[in-house]
Order: sequence, then structure tokens, then C-alpha cells
Amino acid sequence: MKDIIITGKRIKIELFTLLACFIIAEALNVYSIIKYGTKFSEIFTTLGYIAIFTVALYVAWTIIRLCFYGIQYLIKNRKKNN
Amino acid sequence: MNNKPIDRRDFLKELGMASALFAATPWLSVFSESKQTNNEKCRLGIIGPGSRGRLHMSFLAQNPKAEMAAICDIYQPSIDEALKIAPKAKVYRDYRQLLDDKSIDAVLIVTPLNTHYQIFIDACEAGKQVFCEKTIGFTMDECLAMYNKHKEVNNIFFTGQQRLFDPRYIKTMEMVHQGVFGEIAAIQTFWNRNNDWRRPVPSPELERHINWRLYKEYSKGLMTELACHQLQIGTWALNKMPETVMGTGAITFWKDGREVYDNVHTIYTFDDGKQMTFSSVISNKFYGLEEQILGNKGTVEPEKGKYYFENVDPAPGFLQLINEWENSLFEKIPFAGTSWAPETANVNNGEYITGERPKVDGTSLLLDAFVEAVITHKQPARVVEEGYYAAILSLLGHEAIERGEILTFPDKYKLNYMNHKAITNTENV
Repeated sequence: MKDIIITGKRIKIELFTLLACFIIAEALNVYSIIKYGTKFSEIFTTLGYIAIFTVALYVAWTIIRLCFYGIQYLIKNRKKNN
Repeated sequence: MNNKPIDRRDFLKELGMASALFAATPWLSVFSESKQTNNEKCRLGIIGPGSRGRLHMSFLAQNPKAEMAAICDIYQPSIDEALKIAPKAKVYRDYRQLLDDKSIDAVLIVTPLNTHYQIFIDACEAGKQVFCEKTIGFTMDECLAMYNKHKEVNNIFFTGQQRLFDPRYIKTMEMVHQGVFGEIAAIQTFWNRNNDWRRPVPSPELERHINWRLYKEYSKGLMTELACHQLQIGTWALNKMPETVMGTGAITFWKDGREVYDNVHTIYTFDDGKQMTFSSVISNKFYGLEEQILGNKGTVEPEKGKYYFENVDPAPGFLQLINEWENSLFEKIPFAGTSWAPETANVNNGEYITGERPKVDGTSLLLDAFVEAVITHKQPARVVEEGYYAAILSLLGHEAIERGEILTFPDKYKLNYMNHKAITNTENV
């Protein structure tokens, strides 16, 4: 069986991606608090929802990236065969 | 609900007895233990140990201060069942013989409604303290005569209004009177069930004696057997008596030879236009029984043991945002159904009045209070008046149904109580 090597760089990229997703989710939270005039304590009390949304964003971004790398791989393969 | 009595110390603790609460519910002072009564007993006679009577006996059997010394009934199966609860009780067939027994301190009258009056009067004249099941009298005149007799002989007199001792109702009224639910505009009470209200009858000649609730000669049906409890909640909440009553009733489903209605609706109107309704349908149980106290800030449903505020906090802004996105997305897709997105408004599940799901009603505490009052010879305030007015309102509602008219509360039945001033009856409180 082939070993899969996850480099330190990849881990760092993924962690930064996850952090970016969290920041986006929390920014949306602040926006919605202002928009709907709800309590600012929701920044903390809705952390559960924010965590779920963060994971959803991360999964969505990962799917987009996989599609992008998949297409890139196919294009490279075609060029190589030609 | 269960038959396990609530400990009165737990009860007082649960209510967090404050002086303000004692002022609003002065009858609870019966538990104040101003006199040490732990070593004292009262000897009780139970007149009519049928199903309700035996329920009372099951509670009394757990009260060390109560000794069930005698029972009286004309129906042997009831006697046999009652003796299982109180094996040492002396058995009488005629209540007058029981009343002649000088060793009996107090009696419980748990007989068919039409017999309450005479037994009560005889018990008072025999020097007994009396607990009389509701509705206390078969007619308004009987109720007034019973009230006056109690005043004349100055005995202990309790009526079967157990909600007066139910922690849910006491807490509810405390909150209502503090204005927690705003201004109370209306009280809707209803008691629905889906059964024929019949008991098994071993032989046809006993039909009217056993199913006495179904016959006009003995009872006034739903108004006297059920409304009596719920109307008292309305007047307790509003601290006043209604001025007028109208109503309608019919036998619409159980056309089985009964004479009392199986479907009644009544409206009681107060001097300021506020209204209290009572309805009962016994061919549908979906909504069960409840007394809904409707304020502009909230609603209380004491039977469920819950209250609900009108304005609940909105859903968190983040959920509202997600919901808005979801709506704008699926509005454009006509085939889309319910999605994962949360509702924008929080569901109003209400709060428990006593902080927990209701476990008991006030029956055991009502009986404990009666025993305590018999021992201390102290009649707690307002207990009789609450029972009296609950009875009068039920009977007045019944009369309004029978006559098909809007009836005004008759002056002759007014006591000096709440917003009423006695006009003809100068002996009143």
C-alpha cells in the first residue's frame, strides 16, 4: 500500500483555509446581527452554528478546489499524450 | 397526576412562602403551625365512599393525624372497597346514625349532589366539622342556606375546591396578580373528554343511583360536576365576580337516556366587559381540560402547568440570514419543499409555572388542610366563600342554559366578598 505524505506546508494551507472560513462565517454573523438588530452576545452564543457553517464553507471550498485540480490534471494529461 | 400526597413542607418550600403570598392566599395559613398538632388526631366519618370518596380516603390514610373511624354508604361494593382502605372503620347505612356518634369530629360528604344539603345541615346541627364535595348545593338557595348555617354554628367548613391548594394555581395567581402577564382580558376554560361518563351498573334498578351525574333529579351535569372547579379559577384570577351569564347546552352525542347535557357553552361577563367562558364537550378529548388566562403580555395554562409570553426572543440573526437566503433561493424553484433551514421565529414552548412538570393536584393538601383546621378549630379565610361562589356561578350558568336568557347575578346570593356587597344577607363576612 502506498503511503500518503501530507506535508507541513499542506497542513498549514488547510489550517489557514479553515481559519479563513471561520472568519468569513463570523463576519457574516456580525453582519446578520447588525442587519436584524439582534444581541451582540450572539457572537459567542451562536458559535455552534458558526462552527457548522465554517465546516460547510470549508467542504464547499474543498469541492471547488478538487474540481479545479481535477480539471487541471486532465488538461495536463491530455497535453502529455499529445 | 398520581395519588401520592405532596409533603406540606415541600409544598411551602416549593411556593417560597412569602408574606405577600400568604396575604393573597390566606387559607394557606392553616399550615402555619402556630399550634403544635403533631400528636393530635381527628376522627373522621366518610359519608359516601364511592370513587371520589375513596380517593379522599387514600390520601387521608397517609395522614397520621387523620383517623378514618366511620364510613357510611347504602351500596355494599363501595363499603367493601372502602374497608380495604380503612379496615377499622365502623360501617353505617344511615348517615344520621354516624352523625349521632359523638366520637366523630368531622365528616366528609362525598355523596350525590342532591343529597349534600340535608346531610350538611344535619352534620352542622350534630356539631360536626364538615368537608363537602363540590358543588356544595343542588340549588342556589341551598348553597346560601348552607353558608348561613356554617356562619350560625361557626364550624369548620371546607369545600372540594382543590385548586386552592394546588401549587400550580397558587403560583399562577401570584404571577397574575403581580401583572406578569399584563392586563387579563379573558379567561377561557374548557373541560373536554371522550367518554360516556358512565359507571358500570350491576343491575338496572341501580342505574340512577350509580350514574346519578346523568340525571336531573340528582345533578346538573357538566355545570355542577366540572364547571365548578374552573369558574373558581376565573374569579380568583380577576379578583371579582361576574355580573351576567348566558349559555347554551344540548345532548348532541350521548343519546343514551341521560337527562343532562353532554355539550355546554357558557359566557360570564364582568362589570368591565371582561369575559370568562366555560365549555364542555364529552365526545372529543383532543384539547382536554384547561383554564387559559389571557393577558396582553402572556398566557397561563395552569393545568399544563405552563405559561407563555406573547413576545418571544427572535431567532439569532445568523439563522435569520440563512433562512432569508434559503427562502430567496427556493422561492424561485416551485418544486422545492421544506428545507433544512431553521424557522426564523423561536417556537414558544413556554415555561413551567413551578419550574417542573406538574406532579400532583391539590387534593391531598386540601384534605391535610381540613384535618389541620379540625384539630386547631381555626377556619381558614376565604375557603367557604370560594366554594360558595363556585357553586353559585355553576348553578347560575345552568339556569341561564335552561332558561335561554342572559341572567344577572341575583343580589340575594351576594356575600360581602370581592366586588360584591351583601344586600339581603346581613350575616355575611
